[in-house]
Amino acid sequence: MVRIKERYLLVNIVYAPDPARAAKDNLPQCVVHHQPTLDRLTPQALLKGIRAEVASLFGDYGSGALGGSLSVKYMSLATSTFILRCPRAHYQMLWSALTFMDRVPVKDGKPCIFRVVRVSGTIRKAEEEAIRQAKKVILAAKEEASGAKSSLTSALQAQEQMSLDITDESSDEDMADG
Amino acid sequence: MYDLNIAWSPSTTPDQLLQILTLASTLGYATVALNHTLELPIPSVPAAPFPPASALTSSSSSSTPNKTLPSILHRATVPLADPAAPTFRLQTLVAAYDLVAIQPLTEKAFQSACIHLDIPLISLDLAQHFPFHFRPKNCMTAVTRGVRFEVCYAQALAADPRGRATFIGNVTNLVRATRGRGIILSSAAKDALSLRAPADVVNLLSVWGLPSEKGMLGLGALPRSVVVNEGMKRSGFRGVIDVVDVAKRDVEDQGEEAADGQAGKKNKNKGQNQKRKSGDEDTPTMSKRQAKKLKLASRGAAAEKK
Repeated sequence: MVRIKERYLLVNIVYAPDPARAAKDNLPQCVVHHQPTLDRLTPQALLKGIRAEVASLFGDYGSGALGGSLSVKYMSLATSTFILRCPRAHYQMLWSALTFMDRVPVKDGKPCIFRVVRVSGTIRKAEEEAIRQAKKVILAAKEEASGAKSSLTSALQAQEQMSLDITDESSDEDMADG
Repeated sequence: MYDLNIAWSPSTTPDQLLQILTLASTLGYATVALNHTLELPIPSVPAAPFPPASALTSSSSSSTPNKTLPSILHRATVPLADPAAPTFRLQTLVAAYDLVAIQPLTEKAFQSACIHLDIPLISLDLAQHFPFHFRPKNCMTAVTRGVRFEVCYAQALAADPRGRATFIGNVTNLVRATRGRGIILSSAAKDALSLRAPADVVNLLSVWGLPSEKGMLGLGALPRSVVVNEGMKRSGFRGVIDVVDVAKRDVEDQGEEAADGQAGKKNKNKGQNQKRKSGDEDTPTMSKRQAKKLKLASRGAAAEKK
């Protein structure tokens, strides 16, 4: 029996930074860039929003392809992070639909960007990545707050490089899974 | 990562601009170009109207240090309808901006932009329908000439369903015509939230038919080559020769030479010294030869001009 191949997408919600206010409140830089989600976003609302976007982009075919097996595996409003599961064959569709979404899918949702940070074949890897990122942000924030801004702020910059590997990594995972 | 198109107009407030720039650097863009779209009668002495970088940093306090902002280039986009009456002064623009792009509106303009015009970028508003289609011959000429096509994803994000469909159609046509070569991905973002992370953009374009490794090129290597090339054109002599650094003649070396000369006079008969001396004498003959070459070259150039 062959198991059904899945993809897990780790997604960050990015809000527009407000540099002027941040300067006034004297917030550390990385706190400004990783804001919590204040809207009452539930997994159901999120799924509904994604389905609507997929339907508008890919029509009936898209909704059918992603239909049953699309689900939210984990969601944290405090870190604005969630993990989605979808069939492997169609994860690019889901990803591009996320790219096209421009606000939190609730009533009067705040405008935002959905940024996919990791695509992986197992949920464990996605989880590890989420934890790693959260840790990094906390450490960087602490460091910046204490005044010494050197190594970790640059480590945070290195994290941006990470996301670029995604396309390569996912193709690697393809092989590992198959 | 490069984003060669962030829309800017005189009405953009410094706050908005700062917001876009901070978000761009968060998403991983290291260099961005502010784009100013010009109206066709270009002023005889164009000046880049962008706010100086110092104005941006001063509006925020010390807690947002300068290094969080990406490095900023200035770019002008000229909409071009009729290539036959080019009263636009590209050369004067080149002096005022870091990058100059053409936005062809008609087939003729597109063709001449592909084949003749000396510009690094062709920018198209892909969200509207074109009365012509991209011919592989023109597009490939442009690509081999080093002219790049620009795909701005924010146009698709902002468009209505109809415009989105047109955009996707145009992108697939462009990819077909160029076989995915020479396509630069940029945002054309008017506000911060129409920016997207590089990986997201690459995935989006790969859904629309541009292979993802070519998409990565379009965000990294290609725009970099454009920026570096344009920088060289502006700094060096005819984009070929550039004085990078003037080597200083060491004081020590001179002193040694003088000492050597004296020593040479003292023991003239020694073969070793003779050899070294002849080596020394080689340099002036070399320079003579070079002088001759230069003379010939200049004469040739003069003849060509006539």
